[in-house]
Amino acid sequence: MKDIAVIYSFNTRQTKNAAKEIIKHFGNAVKIDEINAEEIDGPTFMKYTNLILGVPTWFDGELPNYWDEFVPELETLDLTGKNIAIFGNGDQVSYPENFVDGIGIMADLVQSRGARVVGYTSAEGYRFESSRAYRNGKFCGLAIDFENQSELNTPRIKKWVEQLKKEFE
Amino acid sequence: MNKLKSNEINQLVEEVLDSAEKSTVNHTQSPNVERVHSILTTDKATLQKWFYLMVLGRALDDRAPKYLKQAIGWSYHAPYAGHDGIQLAIGQVFDRNTDHLYPYYRDMLTCISAGLTAEEIICNGISKANDVAGGGRHMSNHFAKPEWNIHNVSSATGNHAQHAAGTGRAMKKYGHRGVVICSQGESSVSEGYVYEAINGATNEKLPVIFVIQDNGYGISVPKKDQTANRRVSNNFRGFKNLTILHCNGKDVFDSMNTMIAAKKIVLEEGHPVIVDANCVRIHSHSNSDRHELYRDDYELNYVREYDPLAKFRRLLLRYKRFTEEELVAIEEQVKEEVKQAHNKAMAAPDPTPESIFNFVIPEPYVSIKYPDGTHNFQGPPKKLIEGINETLKAEFRHNPDTFLWGQDVANKDKGGIFNVTKGMQQEFGPERVFNAPIAEDFILGTANGFSRFNDKIRVVVEGAEFADYFWPAMEQLVDTSHDYWRSNGKFSPNIVVRLASGGYIGGGLYHSQTIEGALITLPGIRVVYPSFADDAAGLLRTAIRSRGLTMFLEPKALYNAPKAATPIPDDFEVPFGKARIRREGTDMSIITYGNTTHMCLEAAEKMAKEHGASVEVVDLRSLSPMDEEAILNTVKKTGKVLIVHEDKVFGGVGGEVAAIITSKAFEYLDAPIMRVGATFTPIGFNRILENAILPNTEKIYKAAIELLEY
Repeated sequence: MKDIAVIYSFNTRQTKNAAKEIIKHFGNAVKIDEINAEEIDGPTFMKYTNLILGVPTWFDGELPNYWDEFVPELETLDLTGKNIAIFGNGDQVSYPENFVDGIGIMADLVQSRGARVVGYTSAEGYRFESSRAYRNGKFCGLAIDFENQSELNTPRIKKWVEQLKKEFE
Repeated sequence: MNKLKSNEINQLVEEVLDSAEKSTVNHTQSPNVERVHSILTTDKATLQKWFYLMVLGRALDDRAPKYLKQAIGWSYHAPYAGHDGIQLAIGQVFDRNTDHLYPYYRDMLTCISAGLTAEEIICNGISKANDVAGGGRHMSNHFAKPEWNIHNVSSATGNHAQHAAGTGRAMKKYGHRGVVICSQGESSVSEGYVYEAINGATNEKLPVIFVIQDNGYGISVPKKDQTANRRVSNNFRGFKNLTILHCNGKDVFDSMNTMIAAKKIVLEEGHPVIVDANCVRIHSHSNSDRHELYRDDYELNYVREYDPLAKFRRLLLRYKRFTEEELVAIEEQVKEEVKQAHNKAMAAPDPTPESIFNFVIPEPYVSIKYPDGTHNFQGPPKKLIEGINETLKAEFRHNPDTFLWGQDVANKDKGGIFNVTKGMQQEFGPERVFNAPIAEDFILGTANGFSRFNDKIRVVVEGAEFADYFWPAMEQLVDTSHDYWRSNGKFSPNIVVRLASGGYIGGGLYHSQTIEGALITLPGIRVVYPSFADDAAGLLRTAIRSRGLTMFLEPKALYNAPKAATPIPDDFEVPFGKARIRREGTDMSIITYGNTTHMCLEAAEKMAKEHGASVEVVDLRSLSPMDEEAILNTVKKTGKVLIVHEDKVFGGVGGEVAAIITSKAFEYLDAPIMRVGATFTPIGFNRILENAILPNTEKIYKAAIELLEY
């Protein structure tokens, strides 16, 4: 498997915890670089074939500002051949109308630039009203709900990592 | 941070432009919004202007609390920080040559972006006489400039949504191409009148953009306690003829693109748009609020993280559109500008105590031919209803800028619940005479907004089916009563509110009550209450020709009563504040108006016949302003006064009449002032109850005898 970049904001707490756990479950079989999303740029992004992006949802369905500010550059990149997996925190009880929208927004963006989004997960076990990450019964990434289902985080992450091991090149 | 080299930027711009056609994805919240602006494609001059405006706004927003700390003023300040993107966009999209803007009390940057200067902002904040919103009369932080169509609005949240709909209606009626932008916070959609406004705007397809600036709080009340939808605009999903756009109100480009799209939709598709802009409130609601009492550190940090100005600045640097030095130069320029504006504002004059009576209500139309509102015309008597109907028609023929709407006023042969407006739609067409929804507040609120479009316009509304259904409109009436004064004479709501009033029809609650006692407590409006056909015609003509708002109360029991019928000169006019002596006398005076005028005349006649008493009956006709001179003259003449009205004695108009007499003509009194009116009860439906509650000829007669014999 080629190297993996895990890109998330180093200033976060929950996203960082999730990222660390994802990395832990990959083990030592593959080289993983942790990159601060607040400092990401195009050349760094383009170095990797396999990328895991930590994209929490802010407010009523927005990207965090550090991702949002990268978008203009991201939209200039040709991401053909890249495998991108996205995880994100959301609160399905307080924000059921835009649960993990950030995952969906980011997935749309990278897909439009030619990337292959991997790591789709079943939406079963979640209760929400709408989500931009929801496609045909699945989320286009891993939805993590620290507020309401924290006990499911580890099994969900473990399962997702096993799936990524197969889907990444 | 990104380390793009300067020579890469041009290539990046070209790539973006090239890929714009290919990419249909929009990471923002309204996928159909065209991306007109972006950090890479917007020209540098425009970006510089935006940054300058945002820095200027924030400098003033941050400075405002200092004026309070130094006891200079700005005691109400609702900081806008966190709303920067959408407010910048509103002001940039607004064109004062074609559009109308209704900002709310948090819209500082909106108004700066629309063109207000730093000095104008500070003069409003510290309530100076040259404050362009209203000379320091309205609360601070309520920015406006009426001559630019940036309207002076109420503090009542969302109240101006109805005005915006009204202005939109006027634009449509006059074929004017432009938009009305109505800006408000998300909590305003908890107000029923906002729904009335959006219902009306969608039904009539009015050119209005309702911008909801959603910062998640109504003071300390979180959105979850206001409404079920996180995105409050989704409450309006069922409304037809409406486009709802969501945007990131913290982001300059998304806000700008969304507002441009909204304006385009309104102009091209001809229906209203809601722009729901997600914002953050970085500070407390206002300087009387302490948000640390209900927001934890995590939340406060979270919202500060998304400071829109800081984000915009980062983008300008990250994408090499500006150097640090260039931005610092702009920031320094703003500092100097604010300093100079501060000095000028501090030196500006304060309003004077003597000025308080300026612009309470506009000067009325002056009758040359009928200066005291009487006539000697001999002709066939016409009923009161005919007098009103014919005067309305005559005035609508006389002035093409007249409009009439209300409940039931125009449907085939029907013209109002009592047919007072019969035939008007047939003659003047549905563009000028039309039905309104059953929403009293909306009827009056849209009249207010409609008259803002053009000072020539005169709106007549049938305020409610019956006067006692008017209460929902009191919110708009109170607000409208402030407008002329609050704007320092820059806006006059030119409206006549007709109300079928009073009892003696067995209508009970909501059909037989009269409400003038409450109305005359409001400065800024006129209240008239004729009792004869000629006076009704004359007062109505004067009201329609005057600037300002007149409450025209029609005693509905007299619409078709022969006793109220009189000859009416075709051009009759009755000035405001002119009473009419309907019967001369020397032994005692009865001061009255409306339905009871006729009962007083009957009682006076009986007094004459049975007691040889000479009783003078004075019909006030106009309650606000009131003819003090006529009141004092009759007291001086007779020395005894009975005040009679249909409304309750307690809290009724008679209390004011009595107070005028005791303070200015006490020495002329030979007896205590007596009053006859309704009991201090609601009005019963059963005729037995109504008779027991309302005054009648017999009750007046008894009181008059008592007074005569005192």
